Amino acid sequence: MRTRLVLVVGAAVVIGALAAVVRPWATASAEADIPRTPWGEPDLQGIWTNEFDTPLQRAARYGTREFFTEDERAALDEERLKLLGRDRRVERGTELDVAGAYNSVFMSMKRTGRRTSLIVDPPDGRIPPLTPEAQQRAAEDRAFRLALLQATATCKNNSPACAGGKYVAAPSPRRDEPLARYNTARMNRHYGPEDGSLSDRCLSGGIPEFGTAYGGSFRRIVQTPGGVSIFYDVGQGQGFQRSIAMHGGPHLPASVRQWHGDSRGRWEGDTLVIDVTNFSPKTDFFGSRENLHLIERWTRTGPDTLEYRVTIEDPTVWTRPWTVVEEFTRQNEKENRIYYEPRCHEGNYGFPSLLLAARLAEKAYAEGRGPHPAFNDNATDFVGVEENPLGR
Amino acid sequence: MRITGSLVSVAVVAAVAGAGIALSIPRTAGQTSETTRPDRIDGRPNFSGIWQANNEAHWDLQAHAARPGAVTQPGVYPFEYARVAAAPVVALGAAAGVPASLGVVQDDGEIPYTPEALAIKKANAEHWIDRDPELKCYLPGIPRAMYMPYPFEITQSTNKIHMAYAFANTARTIHLDEVDPPPAETWMGHSVGRWEGDTLVVDVSYFNDKTWFDRAGNFHSDALKLTERFSPLTRDVIQYEVTIEDPKVFTRPWRIAMPLYRRMESKMQLLEYRCTEFAEEFLYGHVRKEPLVTRWEGETMVVEITRKVPPGDKFYEWLRK
Repeated sequence: MRTRLVLVVGAAVVIGALAAVVRPWATASAEADIPRTPWGEPDLQGIWTNEFDTPLQRAARYGTREFFTEDERAALDEERLKLLGRDRRVERGTELDVAGAYNSVFMSMKRTGRRTSLIVDPPDGRIPPLTPEAQQRAAEDRAFRLALLQATATCKNNSPACAGGKYVAAPSPRRDEPLARYNTARMNRHYGPEDGSLSDRCLSGGIPEFGTAYGGSFRRIVQTPGGVSIFYDVGQGQGFQRSIAMHGGPHLPASVRQWHGDSRGRWEGDTLVIDVTNFSPKTDFFGSRENLHLIERWTRTGPDTLEYRVTIEDPTVWTRPWTVVEEFTRQNEKENRIYYEPRCHEGNYGFPSLLLAARLAEKAYAEGRGPHPAFNDNATDFVGVEENPLGR
Repeated sequence: MRITGSLVSVAVVAAVAGAGIALSIPRTAGQTSETTRPDRIDGRPNFSGIWQANNEAHWDLQAHAARPGAVTQPGVYPFEYARVAAAPVVALGAAAGVPASLGVVQDDGEIPYTPEALAIKKANAEHWIDRDPELKCYLPGIPRAMYMPYPFEITQSTNKIHMAYAFANTARTIHLDEVDPPPAETWMGHSVGRWEGDTLVVDVSYFNDKTWFDRAGNFHSDALKLTERFSPLTRDVIQYEVTIEDPKVFTRPWRIAMPLYRRMESKMQLLEYRCTEFAEEFLYGHVRKEPLVTRWEGETMVVEITRKVPPGDKFYEWLRK
């Protein structure tokens, strides 16, 4: 009991000190009034999600304007509502028809958020231009993927998935080439697991995590004095636990690389600042891999709100750093609506089936019973978000 | 947070002063280590930190003698005690053996299987490589995750206690407050905890029947219910006890118990063991275009082992004389 009493007194001292010092200059978020843990740290705990749909990048028509007007939000909601329930199926019985079966019946929509983009810096709300080297890497990668698609109906029909490529009625001579870099995305070749996308392999959950237009991005934060745990629930059961070291030591040696990087947390005033480096070259965030560097700032802004601000930099990929802001809303603790048991891998029947189907297609072709496998497109996913007036 | 730098430092200094009083332990701003962690939170023992079992329970919960391999085959003698390492591990020599253990099963050391369940356990052990979910990097389940040979991290708050496991980057949240049950059965269970004095008692239920207890084929059904007890032995040792009930598999409840030790390294942190990719060849190698393993016969992986004596090995040079 003595310890508890000391804890309470201590917490009061902390709150008192902060209130006295901070309150007169506090911004609209009124830091001194935010919930605190019994040991005096800002309380970031709970299940958090972004309840609104905000595109990562801003549509050019909004220029440098950061926020929608309320009228614009209402109009956008109405426009997007009309998309719900539309049947997007095409050419019944074709591969594209199957891919298009994921229409809006499967995809719920969130209301339009107040921001015109998650990106707040650069001021145009767009990802900064790629460096010339990164542009070249991206172009080479794209050219290879288009070569794998060239003989398929996707290119023959000028589908958006073939944009930049052209239809050639023969398998590409590049088909057996090894990739220049570790593959992370879906491609129209299925020789083995490494040809699969990270998502198909149940390896896609990563940071920074901005969710999708359809939601499915939750995080549970639990704190202890001087420690914090963040567990992510993301789409398709690909959630993950993130370990955050708060001991103040330097980052891991460069030889130790991790899928979720190496997170070093510290408190700066009322903000939890996490510096993340040491990403694995097997990850890919818009072209950034082992040199990705994140500086995250987590700030409780009110009884049910949490601001997440992350500055993203990689001088080998982008010409300048960029910053994203998300505003999370606290979810009901009792309902506990977080899928805290990511079991994508345990139920992954789809990926081996894809590989098996490729082997069967090769066998059929070898026995003169089927077309050359390069004429099939088993890579193109459904296309649907291009109709969302918010864009992505 | 648009406060000037000097004001921030004033606030930090004030906060540190407050925290110092609060926790009766000096610490620097926002940083913590095993030596500065408070002993208690909200009047309860503080289990926060990184822990690891240090025993052989992950091989076999029951007492056992050392074995020559994780998988064995009959040797030159017909005796069970004279088996030798089998092909999948023989190239690893003495590194592939199974260490002996006093066992962690309490009371008479027996696991009270029904006769039918005992037959399944024995078949599981015989077909370990084919059946153990650990080899597939599936979620390990509770209690197995608690004593696998990987560290795990406890983040203890007042209403939730979170446990993050290095193996498969998995986790569970122990709810000390009121919470709705999960919508379906789970691999890692649904954990609801309460304090009994200094002991954390956790009821775990809503399991599926897909996880195991160890590498010896010990298993359970979806009727599994656990009662875990975490009691502080010292600041750096937790006594961990589990009562295991499953009327579909066991004739009575039984118990396991072991200490969990704090990882004392000053800069200890949980590193990833995201094994999904490590298991891909094991799971999907047979549907690869060009097999990496010597050969697959249908769905059977045939591993041929080549071990070459390194040039200049003195022992073999002597042997050749």
